[in-house]
Amino acid sequence: MTGNVNDNALPAVMLDRSDERLKHEAGIGGAVRGFIDRVRSGDLGSLPVVVGLVLIWTVFASLNPIFLSSNNLVNLLFDCSTVGVIALGIVCVLMVGEIDLSVGSISGFASAIVGTLWVNQGWPVALAILAAVAVGGLIGSLYALLYNRLGMPSFVATLSGLLAVLGMQLYILGSTGSINLPYGSAMVNFGQMLVMPRLLAHVLAVVPGVVMLATGIRTISRRREANLSAPSLGSIVLRAVATTLVLEIIVLYLNQDRGIPWMFGLFVGLVMLMNYALTRTQWGRSMTAVGGNREAARRAGINVRRIYASAFVLCSMLAALGGVLSASRLASASQQAGTGDVNLNAIAAAVIGGTSLFGGRGNAYSALLGIIVIQSIANGLTLLDLSSSLRYMITGGVLAIAVIVDSLARRSRVSHGRA
Amino acid sequence: MTETVDRKTPAGEMVLSLRGISKSFGAVSALTDIDLDVHAGEVVALVGDNGAGKSTLVKTLAGVHQPTAGTITFRGQPVTMTDPSAALNLGIATVFQDLALCENLDVVANIFLGRELKPMQLDETAMEVRSWTLLNELSARIPSVRIPIASLSGGQRQTVAIARSLLLEPKLILLDEPTAALGVAQTAEVLNLIERVRDRGLGVIMISHNMEDVRAVADRIVVLRLGRNNGVFYPDATNQELVGAITGAVDNSVTRREERRHAEQQLSEGGQL
Repeated sequence: MTGNVNDNALPAVMLDRSDERLKHEAGIGGAVRGFIDRVRSGDLGSLPVVVGLVLIWTVFASLNPIFLSSNNLVNLLFDCSTVGVIALGIVCVLMVGEIDLSVGSISGFASAIVGTLWVNQGWPVALAILAAVAVGGLIGSLYALLYNRLGMPSFVATLSGLLAVLGMQLYILGSTGSINLPYGSAMVNFGQMLVMPRLLAHVLAVVPGVVMLATGIRTISRRREANLSAPSLGSIVLRAVATTLVLEIIVLYLNQDRGIPWMFGLFVGLVMLMNYALTRTQWGRSMTAVGGNREAARRAGINVRRIYASAFVLCSMLAALGGVLSASRLASASQQAGTGDVNLNAIAAAVIGGTSLFGGRGNAYSALLGIIVIQSIANGLTLLDLSSSLRYMITGGVLAIAVIVDSLARRSRVSHGRA
Repeated sequence: MTETVDRKTPAGEMVLSLRGISKSFGAVSALTDIDLDVHAGEVVALVGDNGAGKSTLVKTLAGVHQPTAGTITFRGQPVTMTDPSAALNLGIATVFQDLALCENLDVVANIFLGRELKPMQLDETAMEVRSWTLLNELSARIPSVRIPIASLSGGQRQTVAIARSLLLEPKLILLDEPTAALGVAQTAEVLNLIERVRDRGLGVIMISHNMEDVRAVADRIVVLRLGRNNGVFYPDATNQELVGAITGAVDNSVTRREERRHAEQQLSEGGQL
């Protein structure tokens, strides 16, 4: 019996395929069927937001063909980046099941700090930006302190923060009310004009596909070595090629106009970094665990307080960075910066993108997808020359739909055992 | 008779020894002067009525509570445990009654929660292999380790919780009501699991209200009553002895109920004749 076993051949039963109750899907067809199965059980992922985006774009494009012009889309990407960075921070706090309502105020305060330190006090711009982000981190650690040590619900802590930080913003702007950032400076150029060289954009668009392929092949060989089932090479190649193709087409189209803004590049870079941190590091695993079951995470030896603190601090720092970016986009730091709908747009973007308000479920890409939806609505309605009253109503409606989809999907996941 | 004597002197080395453990919450003494020994390869059942101090004792051993007085000796060394991770690092693993699993994470993530391999670049393959090894050692029946805990049954979740407690190669496992929420077949599986853990040479402390389960797996039965030791029994002890020790009297509501039913039975048998 032993003599016949070939060392190179895979054993008949793989380690994770020994239970006969589990259905196995293999190859590309299997991947597609698995996807349909997941969606039907309520594990929607990014599907609703992609469908919603296609709908919104179709409607606006039919009402005004300028909407889909590459010039307008480049503008859209510039606008997305500022609030998008704030939404990325919101994803962090939502992951642990908390909320930060003061991100708008923090972003406004950060832009005021940059304006004051850089323009009025003559600090180097980099140092001013660094100071603004550090102040954001300080505010976040204050929230963490209130939450962890004094048991203050984040909802209330950040609501009072919304007012207090807004007060600080008005205070340091003082009587002038607004500070104009000098045109032609690197910071304003970054927010208004700087785009990637065309060739570089095309090269960067290939990177995700290559990384996908490389990690995919590495995973396959490692899992085969460990006698575990592995995804087929075909499905990985297909995904990588499809991703590369889509990205190249986008770059090609946007390059007909100015090209990809560096600011958007920074935003996407941060999203990818956050995605890695949330899915591939111990910290990210702990964030998901704390959001899912705080007590279980604590008993597993996770320092729950530190995880909450990291979420609040990261959120506030990203909000401050978003404020700096919007100051460079508007070339000014004013009393209006960060007020109005910035707060809700950032939160709405994260939720519309598929990060659950209930904690323990979400991903970094939801900030990217969600903010594109929100900005598309704002941009489309502006092109149609409609007032902001209608914009608020429609954005509110979309947010409501997104939350309804989230709750319904959650209920469906529970009944399908996928919570 | 010799068999009983053998069982009374377990061969394994002493894993845990408590002497004079007391714990009070303000004016309430939850535990008073508790003595307890656990040897390697031995299942000690901890029984007692509600409020007898079982859970407090387990939480003290898990590092959740700190004793007010007394000494804990673990593998020959006196120890103090300031928090749950201290107990874990010593080699005392706890499976809590509510299991403390994250339903939104999959089996592998739960088993390795807080102990992930390569923190900056999680080694999913190695973690999955180790998870399968642990589950297979317990002859567990989990269809896939890549599905979220939410889709597992109560018994399967119990299995995952026990597998997780074995990850750090502990010397002592505390199980708080491992069969409370389980069906007949699942209870049997968990009891098998406990025997397999014992056969690996671990000390096991199990809290249970179910006398049948206790008798089925325990090598010794330690009774607590109102926070004090109230006798040590062996599985061959009669139910009456056990219930008497748990409730503190030979004449109690349980025995009265049994006597009444017994009398009724005799009466009805008499009526049929």
